[in-house]
Amino acid sequence: MRVELKNIGKKYEGRENFTIRGVDLVIEDQEFCVILGPSGCGKSTLLRMIAGLNSITEGELLFDGKLMNKVPPKDRDIAMVFQSYALYPHMSVYENMAFSLAMRKESKKLIDERVREAADVLQISEYLYSKPSDISGGQRQRVALGRAMVRKPKVFLMDEPLSNLDAKLREHMRIELVRLHKSLDTTTIYVTHDQTEAMTMASKIILLDQGKIQQVGKPEEFYNRPENLFVAGFIGSPTMNILKGEIRGGSFQSLDRSLNIKPSQEDYELLKGYENKEVYLGIRSERFLPDKEGSLEVLVEVIEMLGKEKLLYTKLGEHSFIISVPGHSQYEEGKKYKFSPDKGALHFFDGESKERIN
Amino acid sequence: MIKKRKKDLYLSDRQPLTPLGKFFLALNYFVLISYSLVILWPLSRMVISAFNGKQGRYISLSGKYEFSFKHFEYLFKETLYLTWVKNTLVIAVATAILTILIVSFTGYAYSRFRFKGRKTSLMTIMLLQTIPTFAGITAYFTLHSIISDFFPFITRQMMLIFIYTGGGIAANTFILKGYMDSISTELDDAAMIDGCSYMQIYKLIIMPIVRPMLAIIALWSFIGPFMDYMLPKALLTKPESYTLAAGLYTLMNNRETLNQPAFAAGGLLTALPIVILFIVLQKELISGLAQGSVKG
Ligand SMILES: Nc1ncnc2c1ncn2[C@@H]1O[C@H](COP(=O)(O)OP(=O)(O)OP(=O)(O)O)[C@@H](O)[C@H]1O
Ligand SMILES: [Mg+2]
Repeated sequence: MRVELKNIGKKYEGRENFTIRGVDLVIEDQEFCVILGPSGCGKSTLLRMIAGLNSITEGELLFDGKLMNKVPPKDRDIAMVFQSYALYPHMSVYENMAFSLAMRKESKKLIDERVREAADVLQISEYLYSKPSDISGGQRQRVALGRAMVRKPKVFLMDEPLSNLDAKLREHMRIELVRLHKSLDTTTIYVTHDQTEAMTMASKIILLDQGKIQQVGKPEEFYNRPENLFVAGFIGSPTMNILKGEIRGGSFQSLDRSLNIKPSQEDYELLKGYENKEVYLGIRSERFLPDKEGSLEVLVEVIEMLGKEKLLYTKLGEHSFIISVPGHSQYEEGKKYKFSPDKGALHFFDGESKERIN
Repeated sequence: MIKKRKKDLYLSDRQPLTPLGKFFLALNYFVLISYSLVILWPLSRMVISAFNGKQGRYISLSGKYEFSFKHFEYLFKETLYLTWVKNTLVIAVATAILTILIVSFTGYAYSRFRFKGRKTSLMTIMLLQTIPTFAGITAYFTLHSIISDFFPFITRQMMLIFIYTGGGIAANTFILKGYMDSISTELDDAAMIDGCSYMQIYKLIIMPIVRPMLAIIALWSFIGPFMDYMLPKALLTKPESYTLAAGLYTLMNNRETLNQPAFAAGGLLTALPIVILFIVLQKELISGLAQGSVKG
């Protein structure tokens, strides 16, 4: 099902300002759409409006072109997985999964079929008659998924479903969720504050901050072409190195004049209008090239060994850079090394609007 | 050798007691045991007197003992005991049911809905409750005379039920609301998406979870009418409409009907319905203590 949001806004009762405002968005049928953003930016609010659990203050919500603003949640053909799983504690796993179908007065036979089918897919058949309190967190997670699956909804809504799991299980469930999504042919809208989840699972990411959409696009677009300074800083770990400076004589100069970086020819064309104006320069940690003739001579202060790569926390005068190098390369703390930035991987942002320039 | 070691192992999580600590522990036990003796002794006298055929109209401590059901017989044959039991049971059951019904609604509403005056209204009722029931007795009388003009079918016993129920609403709402607040509202959301109305959310999801609390509230409301002497005495006029406490008291303070051992026997029997209810609700009460939280 195609989900369309037109100029959606939400203001909570008793709040001064709108929590979200002016959200325009189209989520195509069968897309795996991840809503990403820092805590408190209104992700859950947006999802709950789509679910019908929160009213919509302004704007329109359309499912396949039909206006949904006033339709109660149960008639929206959606299912939702909650962060706390929200399993009914007094019901067995089977009853939990059967509940929504039973509420819709489906036949016993159909309910049984669907529940067993979902339990099979999720490998929880063994626990069908246990209470939620008697199974592990990962199994509870599956039950919550199963409960959403049995109804065969058109839209799956998930609010940070993996945040209560340990790291290994989370990694495993990420893959499984995507597989499930593909096999079910539904539209999935998934809320998370974890960029790894967003990057690995999404076919489309929506980055939200302060109630506004910052960028919409494919994961690689987010990484390679962040549209503004916020996105540049939010996506990627370690965080992108960002310098404030000016364009002088066709090259980037840091405010204290200690750094001078020459952009590539294409970037230069776009930066012409910014002569003597403030800009931000962003460069990812892995886009520094070790170079004997390099223009950046940095002092390595701390080295973090991550296995396949090493993170060098370095200083150049006032500025700090995080540089990642292959894990097997030799660097020592307290020594100076020379690097040069990869010219093809520089990100320039307008000093005032913080929007991308190149 | 090893066996002996095992015996000597100190397994408690607390630090071993110092001599002074041991002394205070002993003192504690002494105080507690004497205290329970103070309570148990009169109780035991009451039980013994109730079964003592040699007792006259007054309970005397010295004297002979002969096991008999004489006083119980007296209770059933010469007094309106059974009527009182029936009255009390009706009032107690009605109070318990009415309380549970009303408190379910108010507790759920206060816990789950936001509305104007949510906090102030609850605080107001709580404050009003601090006025002792006794001070309201004149009000009850006036109220009853007004009500009985308009609704003559409302008896004084019904008034009593309303008073008991009304008196418990605020505190019980408060307790139930607190308990419900600890249940994640995501459960409500999930149920809503699964197709429940608000009534169904309460009936199918919330109520089963708060059942232990409801059991406790029911128990307390049920016990109330058994314990209260003052209100029935003031409001009810005829001995036929008395509750147990009021009725039994006529065996104590009225010269003609005075019979202390029968009073003891009646008191003993009064405990019976409460004990039975306790046993019936035991599973709920204990599961309330043992149940884990909703989230894991
Ligand atoms: N029922 C409510 N009443 C008033 N304000 C609310 C309500 N629910 C959320 N808010 C406010 O709306 C803002 C966004 O909340 P929301 O739960 O959508 O954030 P979120 O992006 O999901 O954060 P998190 O990642 O921590 O879950 C917050 O500032 C919050 O205080
Ligand atoms: Mg949230």
